[in-house]
Amino acid sequence: MTLEELRDRMKAARVEIAENRLEVVRRLLTDALRPILAMDSRAHRTLEPAVTFDTVRSRGDHGQ
Amino acid sequence: MASEELFYATIRDIGARFRRRALSPVELTRAHLERIEHLDPKLHAFVTVTADRALADAKAAEAALGRGDISSPLLGIPVGYKDIYATRGILTTGGSALLADWIPDEDSTCVTRLQRAGGVMLGKLITHEFAFGIQFPGHRFPAARNPWDLERMPGGSSSGSGAALAAGMAFGALGSDTGGSIRGPASLCGIAGLKPTYGRCSRAGVLTLSWTLDHTGPMARTVEDCAYLLQALAGYDAADPASSREPVPDYVAPLGRGVRGLRVGVPREYFFEGIDPEVEKGFEQALATLRQLGAAVEDVQIPSIQSAGAFMAIMLAEAFAYHERDLREHPERFGELLRERLLAGALITGSEYVQAQRIRTRLQADMSAVLRRVDVLATPTSPKPAPTFTAVYDPDYGFPRGNTGPFNMTGLPALAVPCGFTTSGLPISIQITGRPFDETTVLRVGHTYEQATDWHKRHPI
Repeated sequence: MTLEELRDRMKAARVEIAENRLEVVRRLLTDALRPILAMDSRAHRTLEPAVTFDTVRSRGDHGQ
Repeated sequence: MASEELFYATIRDIGARFRRRALSPVELTRAHLERIEHLDPKLHAFVTVTADRALADAKAAEAALGRGDISSPLLGIPVGYKDIYATRGILTTGGSALLADWIPDEDSTCVTRLQRAGGVMLGKLITHEFAFGIQFPGHRFPAARNPWDLERMPGGSSSGSGAALAAGMAFGALGSDTGGSIRGPASLCGIAGLKPTYGRCSRAGVLTLSWTLDHTGPMARTVEDCAYLLQALAGYDAADPASSREPVPDYVAPLGRGVRGLRVGVPREYFFEGIDPEVEKGFEQALATLRQLGAAVEDVQIPSIQSAGAFMAIMLAEAFAYHERDLREHPERFGELLRERLLAGALITGSEYVQAQRIRTRLQADMSAVLRRVDVLATPTSPKPAPTFTAVYDPDYGFPRGNTGPFNMTGLPALAVPCGFTTSGLPISIQITGRPFDETTVLRVGHTYEQATDWHKRHPI
């Protein structure tokens, strides 16, 4: 993420961050988004971020 | 002042002294209040010391013991609560100027449960601002200091909990853990800390940082003490939407069963990146000890582990959603660092948040697959020992990469246990992670390792 992209996002989100802190925020967001931007969602089977309601599940099978 | 040994005894030992009338809860509580008065001006672990309440709790415990009530191992045990747990009639600040005068009308569920179990409330323990920021010099609430080196951080965000326990100012504490806030301070302060399975312990009445990542749990000086605390805390709570109805087993009785035959998986990828050589050495020695104790230790692969950093996108977005109104209306009431971290969450798109949750689902599936082949995972808890305040206060200091966040993503139970010291005397820690709701095995591995070593017997003061 470039600083210009960061500023675009700030404008869209209507938030202000001090100019001298933009680089720190840019690094934080870059790290957070790296795995997301690296993910080609078309290459994976559907992974739905949904809760499930199985009443019987084996111990090793459920995440939360 | 009572002897140092008293302040570092275990909960089991204190209970035995109570029962044979060698010590009373009131004596123990008075000794702790004196110790806090003596040590805390330098450590800043407590925001509020509830001396009157502590003595009232202790007297009630003493009366119960006098009636022959020995039903709870926590009866008369002095404890402290992280200051994001609501406490009825007692200041609850969240480490924030925004809540500097907030006095809740009700206790959080975890506080209720520990009090019902006979805990003696010593007071409220400082937290990083809203469990996410850092108190810089001049903040309304001073930052807790690490008892092993006052110039270093005790970790966070359960910073006061870690410092108080390491300094012998309480026998147990409540922490909360969104990305490692129980295990990080446990690691940097040389104590034990358990992040239970998501849904195991209630979050009702606890200030939110990130709904889908927040966990509550116990911190103590030994694994057994964590088990005693967990026993009182665990169980369904209708007031927490994520609370589980999974039955609560006995966490204490199985601790002595050893690790012979258990399979310990070590994921080498991700968890060793940027690791301090002394931390790595201490961790490898801990693995050798587990092998000597009869565990089968093997390397394992978690295919999607490199995507675990998406954890931060989830946390930032959810934290912004929680704080947005206050941020827009009262930005000046947030510390500068916390404000910019929260505002970063506003810059994550809806699509990115959803993709992060999809990554999370994949990571959960991968860890479940690995945990069908091994009983627990072992990793270093923190890649580095406690940083100095000078380093953390540097304007360019970023958000440190940790080894704990992946287990907030997956909701799995994870325990930090001391496993050594650096040559400069700073604690090192091993993290044991298990299957959902299998805290029993996690605690058993940690306890067996702990009892074979003497790291937990070293104290800074």
